[in-house]
Amino acid sequence: MFRIRIHGRGGQGIKMASRVLGTALFQAGYTVQDAPKYGAERRGAPIFSSVRAARETINERGTIYRPDLVVVADDTLLAVPAAGTLLGIDGHTVVLVNSHEPADTWCHRLNITARLLILPACTEVEDRADLPHIGATCAGAAARLLGVIARAGLLEAIAGELADLGPDIVAENQASALAAFDAMADWQGAVTEGIAVAADNYVVPDWIELPFDDARMAAPDIRACANSVEVRTGLWRTMRPIIDYDLCKRCWWVCSTFCPDSAIAVAEDIPVIDYDHCKGCMVCVGVCPPHAIEGVPEYLAQQQDKLQPAPGDANATETADR
Amino acid sequence: MSEQRINRMKDLPSTHLLGTGTPMCSGCGGLEALHQIYDVLGEKTVFVNAAGCMTLLSVYPFTPFRGSWLYTAMASAPAGAQGVRDALDILLQQGRLRPEEDLDVVVLTGDGSANGMGLSATSAAMDRNLDFLYICYDNEGYGNTGQQSSSATPHAAITSTSGGSCGYPGYKKDLFSIWAAHGPAYVATVIGSEPLDLARKIEKARDLQGSRMIIALAPCPTGWGYDPKDSVEIGRLAVKTGIWPLKEYIDGQVVHTRIPHERAHVEDYLRLQGRFAHLFTPQADPAIVADIQARVDSYWDKVV
Repeated sequence: MFRIRIHGRGGQGIKMASRVLGTALFQAGYTVQDAPKYGAERRGAPIFSSVRAARETINERGTIYRPDLVVVADDTLLAVPAAGTLLGIDGHTVVLVNSHEPADTWCHRLNITARLLILPACTEVEDRADLPHIGATCAGAAARLLGVIARAGLLEAIAGELADLGPDIVAENQASALAAFDAMADWQGAVTEGIAVAADNYVVPDWIELPFDDARMAAPDIRACANSVEVRTGLWRTMRPIIDYDLCKRCWWVCSTFCPDSAIAVAEDIPVIDYDHCKGCMVCVGVCPPHAIEGVPEYLAQQQDKLQPAPGDANATETADR
Repeated sequence: MSEQRINRMKDLPSTHLLGTGTPMCSGCGGLEALHQIYDVLGEKTVFVNAAGCMTLLSVYPFTPFRGSWLYTAMASAPAGAQGVRDALDILLQQGRLRPEEDLDVVVLTGDGSANGMGLSATSAAMDRNLDFLYICYDNEGYGNTGQQSSSATPHAAITSTSGGSCGYPGYKKDLFSIWAAHGPAYVATVIGSEPLDLARKIEKARDLQGSRMIIALAPCPTGWGYDPKDSVEIGRLAVKTGIWPLKEYIDGQVVHTRIPHERAHVEDYLRLQGRFAHLFTPQADPAIVADIQARVDSYWDKVV
């Protein structure tokens, strides 16, 4: 059975990539499961979807814990434990990463034995997160790595999945997918099917009897005040707003009032961005009257942090390292 | 009740009550309005939330609110508010709650609930002159489930249930007038991109008794198809083009709080949004744009 996990950020086309792979595998005669992870997460948030494909009936369900192929559409997710990109990888796993840095760097940095490959870019872009048709590109490269999907099958699956968006969008996505499919020719079939997990290997857990709690305990009541701050939505960010305090006019209310996420507070006339929670919408960049806020790609800002942590950016550095 | 009057921008709060870390989309125009509203209302509030995007504000075990929050079915937030108001009144009457501990009950729903299945419960709550505040964040569709059209969807917008070359065939329901026809204490339209106008109206609503109804237009990057950074710009254009009139109903009168005398062309607003892209590409459709402009013009002709 092929077990494939595709990681990315909401809005990148991760669900689309898994649908395309799933459909192409189905058309190639496989039994297929494909499912995006559903949750309360939104555009920019770390998300993933899964594809299983086998010649026999698939009895497995749920999250893939032993992937044969992991696709990571945004390399900033590799440093985010909550994204779970590296969950269950071993020497058998192939990891395909959309990154402008070479595979060796990532293997060294992550200290992993899995075979790590870099997603070929069909267009030169400064920030790999800006790569057009990331979903289709990932699907095209992954299809070649699996080695069991033909070009025609890939194109047909894209056409079916994106039919509602019109012929132009279908053609653009097909072109990006094909470019990636061709660029990965040397790695045709690099991903092999993992071993089937048999039910007779299953070890029954030691059951613990839990008594019913009374309703006051068991009801999902939240007895805390504004504890949503525990959720680090700063992980969603692909662009980071940075205030140039030399240009800031200390008007004190504009960025702070317009920030949808209440992530800019003003203390002693100085606005401070809470990078643990800033989702990187860039609204503040647009509204600042003296244009004192600049948007910088998050990966560049993180590299800068490592060189010289700026005062007030302590949280961001921490987030990047965690 | 009121501790301060908000007269100018500098009177707006610079620290915020609503917690960060919510799962609302990046650049959410509804959240922008809500955090401004919450700063004015304060902590002594109970939120009653109908199913919608903002249900996700409080996903167990996290909440961005400093007080209580209750989740109801999509049609029944005003009924839930009635129950909470009654409970508070009984506690006050029995002396188990001191008058200074009283809370203001705030209903929070999207436009789907407000214009559609929740309208009957809202109408009944206003008939009973329920003492509550109703905030509708209007992102002009069922945003939480993938932007299906609602009866607040504007004419010609593409939604996941209205595609084709013409988009949504209907016209946005005039919820302001429907609510005002009930004669409640207060009805107002607001938008997060006009924070001073918003704060003044919320302050007014806070200090009144009875049913106080607020509609906040909520630019939605995900559902309307634009870059999250443009949320404020699109909100400002909604006001400048006259598409979103800022007004209030009080003492039986409708007053416009911001009259755009030199209205920008509606095209300025429509062009920025993916849901209207079919009106301009591959070929412009001047008839539909002219129809939208004519309706805006005819609205303002009656006002000024």
